[in-house]
Amino acid sequence: MSADSAIDEEPVAVQPLSVDMRRLTRVGSRPNFLDYLVQLWDFRQFIFYDARARVQSGTRRDRLGSAWLLLNPIFNGLTYFLIFGLLLKTSKGIENFVGYLVVGIFIFQFSSGAITSGARSIRNNKSIVQAFNFPRAALPIGANVRELLSAVPLVLAMLLIVVVLPPAEEITWLWILVVPAILLQSLFNLGVGLILARIISRVHDVTHLLPFVLRAWMYGSAIFYTYDRFVTHPQVLALIKLNPLFNVIDIVRDCVLYARVPQWQSWAILAAWALGVLAVGMVYFWKGEESYGRG
Amino acid sequence: MDAAEKEIFIEGHPCVVVDSVRMRYRVASTASSDADADTPKPRFLRRAVNKPNMVTVHALNELSLVVERGESVGIIGRNGSGKSTLMKIISGQSKPTSGAVYASSTPIMLGVNAALVQDLSGDQNVVLGCLAMGMSRAEVDRKFNSIVELSGLEKSIHLPMKSYSSGMASRLRFAIAASVDPEILLVDEALNTGDAQFGDRSKRRMDELREQAGCVFVVSHSLDTIKDMCTRVVWLDKGDLIMDGEPGAAIKAYQDFTRHLSKGNNISAAKILEDAKANLVATEVRGRSSRRSRG
Repeated sequence: MSADSAIDEEPVAVQPLSVDMRRLTRVGSRPNFLDYLVQLWDFRQFIFYDARARVQSGTRRDRLGSAWLLLNPIFNGLTYFLIFGLLLKTSKGIENFVGYLVVGIFIFQFSSGAITSGARSIRNNKSIVQAFNFPRAALPIGANVRELLSAVPLVLAMLLIVVVLPPAEEITWLWILVVPAILLQSLFNLGVGLILARIISRVHDVTHLLPFVLRAWMYGSAIFYTYDRFVTHPQVLALIKLNPLFNVIDIVRDCVLYARVPQWQSWAILAAWALGVLAVGMVYFWKGEESYGRG
Repeated sequence: MDAAEKEIFIEGHPCVVVDSVRMRYRVASTASSDADADTPKPRFLRRAVNKPNMVTVHALNELSLVVERGESVGIIGRNGSGKSTLMKIISGQSKPTSGAVYASSTPIMLGVNAALVQDLSGDQNVVLGCLAMGMSRAEVDRKFNSIVELSGLEKSIHLPMKSYSSGMASRLRFAIAASVDPEILLVDEALNTGDAQFGDRSKRRMDELREQAGCVFVVSHSLDTIKDMCTRVVWLDKGDLIMDGEPGAAIKAYQDFTRHLSKGNNISAAKILEDAKANLVATEVRGRSSRRSRG
């Protein structure tokens, strides 16, 4: 390697070679979007294996192992209960505040965890990206599958808490609706993760901002208070209620705590966000395919 | 050099076409820059605002190669001559600043730098690595035993990668990378991995792979290895192509060059370089998409 100041190339003899390029493809070139999706499907075993192996190894370092997957949101819930429930009394007018809080925190943590690990998946696995040629979106997708897998015990624990802690709620058929809600939420997480993964692979500084944005989002998602109590302006309220995470939480609360069928508007807003962001995220991520792990 | 005017027509389909590839990096230098001297700023401001002094490194100057089926190309040169950069570009690990590499199938880099996941165990890494190379799960299961055998890790295969010595890790990497039978094979200094016993095994596997591969690129500091393996040698120095041709002549010139250098005869070394460069006929790739071209 030579530094900047060096060499003006002197003219050398040049031999033109006529080469048949028909069967050649450019190394590392980005396939078109549909081919890309097909490639991803071909790598599904990689995605699932990656997700599964890492769920198992994720907490091996801790003494309590996988229990931390549960203990973490429980302690979080306890903290917020002490501060907002007992000290600040934001609980006023909320039926079953403990359940309300638990659902909010568990569901939000699923999103914040999934978005964070999706966003960091390219950076954290730079060495794998450099070593192997596979469609890069496999990594953010794998991260989200992993988060979804580890969310299963989390959601079960959440439901258990709701059943056990007074005022105990009854199990109804509506509880099944939690599944599609969380799946839609997961698609939304993936979309956001894909967008952020490309941004972070270029500008790493964004990882430092991410926790703040997520925290602001959490405070804005009616986890330990209700919107209706603090926002009086009807248009502002309608606008705030477009928040996709608020809608997931709202749907789950309706099903689990209040035994009422969630409004179709909530589903529509959630589905629109999930599919829209996923589509945008996929295309945006695919456009950067050639740039990941390089340079 | 008169022949340089006439276009040479290459029959058939080449394996790899390196078309006017050039590589530059912008990196931070700790040397104080001259540019700053013109616009004096207070020191604290410069520290806070300015990035560290950025320098452009010419890792590889414009280079074209056409490699046909059946060729084994050895790449030689001093440290920092751009050998590994060229290999990374051919394998698609890094994207050239300009130019492109075309290949008839995905080139596979067989080196000691295929990455693994530290938290996972050896066997999980085997599966993950193979899946990342696009194998199916059934194929992985079929090859699993031979991979473990080649790595020579035996029972340690079930321990996490974190606990491996660097020798063990690189043996495993080699074994994983060597499990595919690529058409285009890149070998980067992989021969001197691990102890003598592993050396034998890996050499045998490498010979197998080389026989099956359509074309091979080898980077090695061992000129004997290059002489044994290669039908063509490319000599790079400081990012410039110096020679491209018969192994005998190129290796001899390179040996003369390094001998003079080590004796401190910088002037005669430079002369060898000049002579070689003067005789160099650079390649210019002219792609065609039909089988025949008019003269």
